[in-house]
Amino acid sequence: MAYPYQHPSEVRVLSEYFGDPEARTLKGWEARGGYKALRKALGMSPADIVNEVKTSGLRGRGGAGFPTGVKWSFMPKEPTRQHYLVCNADESEPGTFKDRELIRWTPHQLIEGCLIGAYAIRATHCYIYIRGEFFEPAQILAKAIEEAYAAGYAGKDVMGSGQELHVTLHLGAGAYICGEETAMMNSIEGRRGEPRVKPPFPAVAGVFGKPTTINNVETLCSVTHIVNNGGEWYRQWGTEKSTGTKLFCVSGHVRRPGNYEVPMGFNFREFIHDICGGPHEGREVRAVIPGGSSVPMMSADDLDVGMDYEAFVSVGTMLGAGSVIVMDDTADIVKQVRRMVEFYAHESCGQCSQCREGTAWATKILRRIERGGGTEADLTTLVDISNNMAGKTICVLSDAAAAPILSSIGKFRGDYQARFQLEEKLMPARRA
Amino acid sequence: MGDGGVQKNPGFAGITGDFNLTEAEVRGTDYVGQRPLDGGHPAVAGTMPYQVPPKAVDGPIFVGPFEERLEKVLTRYEDRRGALLPALGIAHEARGYLSPEAMEEVAERLQLAPAYVRGVATFYTMYNLRPVGRHLIQVCTNISCNLCGGEDVLQAFLQATGTGMGEVSADGQFTVIEVECLGACGFPTVVQINDRFFENVQPADAGRILEELR
Repeated sequence: MAYPYQHPSEVRVLSEYFGDPEARTLKGWEARGGYKALRKALGMSPADIVNEVKTSGLRGRGGAGFPTGVKWSFMPKEPTRQHYLVCNADESEPGTFKDRELIRWTPHQLIEGCLIGAYAIRATHCYIYIRGEFFEPAQILAKAIEEAYAAGYAGKDVMGSGQELHVTLHLGAGAYICGEETAMMNSIEGRRGEPRVKPPFPAVAGVFGKPTTINNVETLCSVTHIVNNGGEWYRQWGTEKSTGTKLFCVSGHVRRPGNYEVPMGFNFREFIHDICGGPHEGREVRAVIPGGSSVPMMSADDLDVGMDYEAFVSVGTMLGAGSVIVMDDTADIVKQVRRMVEFYAHESCGQCSQCREGTAWATKILRRIERGGGTEADLTTLVDISNNMAGKTICVLSDAAAAPILSSIGKFRGDYQARFQLEEKLMPARRA
Repeated sequence: MGDGGVQKNPGFAGITGDFNLTEAEVRGTDYVGQRPLDGGHPAVAGTMPYQVPPKAVDGPIFVGPFEERLEKVLTRYEDRRGALLPALGIAHEARGYLSPEAMEEVAERLQLAPAYVRGVATFYTMYNLRPVGRHLIQVCTNISCNLCGGEDVLQAFLQATGTGMGEVSADGQFTVIEVECLGACGFPTVVQINDRFFENVQPADAGRILEELR
């Protein structure tokens, strides 16, 4: 049984068993080659695993794209204290739904990746921080973790190697900001999910003040395959700097929304128009957000670009988490930007004034423009506010809120101005 | 949805036609089965489904299996504070919301100040701070769902239940709220009801879904 719709251009490494209910079970996963990578990893030294992952060129799939092997190498080589691995399964970026599918179809793939990752950074404990809304995936993962413990893949003595590796499932409770790594650490410690000032970096002082590494679900799942097949094998896909395959989650105005796994560097226009089926009958793609609501929008003119970290930067946006949101010519861009900024205002933790006040005021101004009460000066104010929000706060939530505002004003200014005309019609007296 | 037979597009990425998995297979309920009340293995004891059946309203929370779960959870963190989110989760599950008394009991168990616990509990949006209907209907209106009509779905649920946003319906069955992205954006509109996601919901589905829940 396979995923019912599979496009021939897809390369399925992580998503090979999506749609196969047997792959969920321990037996099914073992029959599909599961836990071979863990066995192999335990026969390697942690440094060798880190080197293999460095060779693969794997970069963090949660959004920042930091090389995973390099991140791991920041951890102390001689553990004098407890180390922790945290798997980020908070998946709260609007437009992202890849980790949910990875967990619900292949929970053991993730557990295996967590165990290997923990061993590689000399940690004996891995917390999987899954967002509280994901009851269903959490139940599936819980059952799989119990199976892994019962089979001796996790516990005090993993597969008779003498190595201790634990996994704990930790549920969030509904806070977007907990997807930020330092906020997540606070949340695991039983605090409010407020990001911490860096330095100290997590590799020095993370969860409970101990050296910690935080990796995304997809990153850790990829590690399983890299350990199995080697770093060079992984480089057969992608570009020089963005290697391997990646899951892209597509939502919005396309005929076939969903998760698709393609090699990095795949042509974006072909991806949207061919793999995702393109826009609905009679419609045209107008704007695309390629990496979740926190990255700048692109206009349809820029779609001839490779789907990799560098190429997206070259057209002024980012790969992010690979969460493609497509808007066709019926989409109300001003309204959608207002909705996104409202979201950031709601989710701001409130520590930094630029973010707390900036998101709140930007929301108010955008609501006014949407109602038809905006002026050209409002756009200037919005740009000012946004420029003051980006790069000036503890975490990047504030930058994320600025991204849709700045990019939409830059690329779809006419959409805002069309609302001003509405004002002229509705309120001629005010203009006089 | 619901008849256990062939499903159309049951929240499954990339699917637009018929497909031959049962809903239980897609949702993994056939694999998970019933989770033990005591939480099972300590590694996952903090993870339980939202309990829909009638909630106990008074008496201590952490007794019987709930206490067992808390004890298991405590073994997984370096200090007692680490268990705060799971402990609040258990209290929330037992009562359906977090009353000041429940927060005090959590504080006492974890040796934390009640004000601290309250400060944490109010930070997270999933903790209800007042009673909600037996079925908590959470409609996503963030961008992906919004583009595909999430706001209409929200209105449809408000109308079908006859309540205002966040209110409990007269029969105590339903509360409808608007939520931020639920992380299933490929299947708009996504509606979370208690512990379960309903995907690809159209405004016309609201009445039928409510009937199923009753």
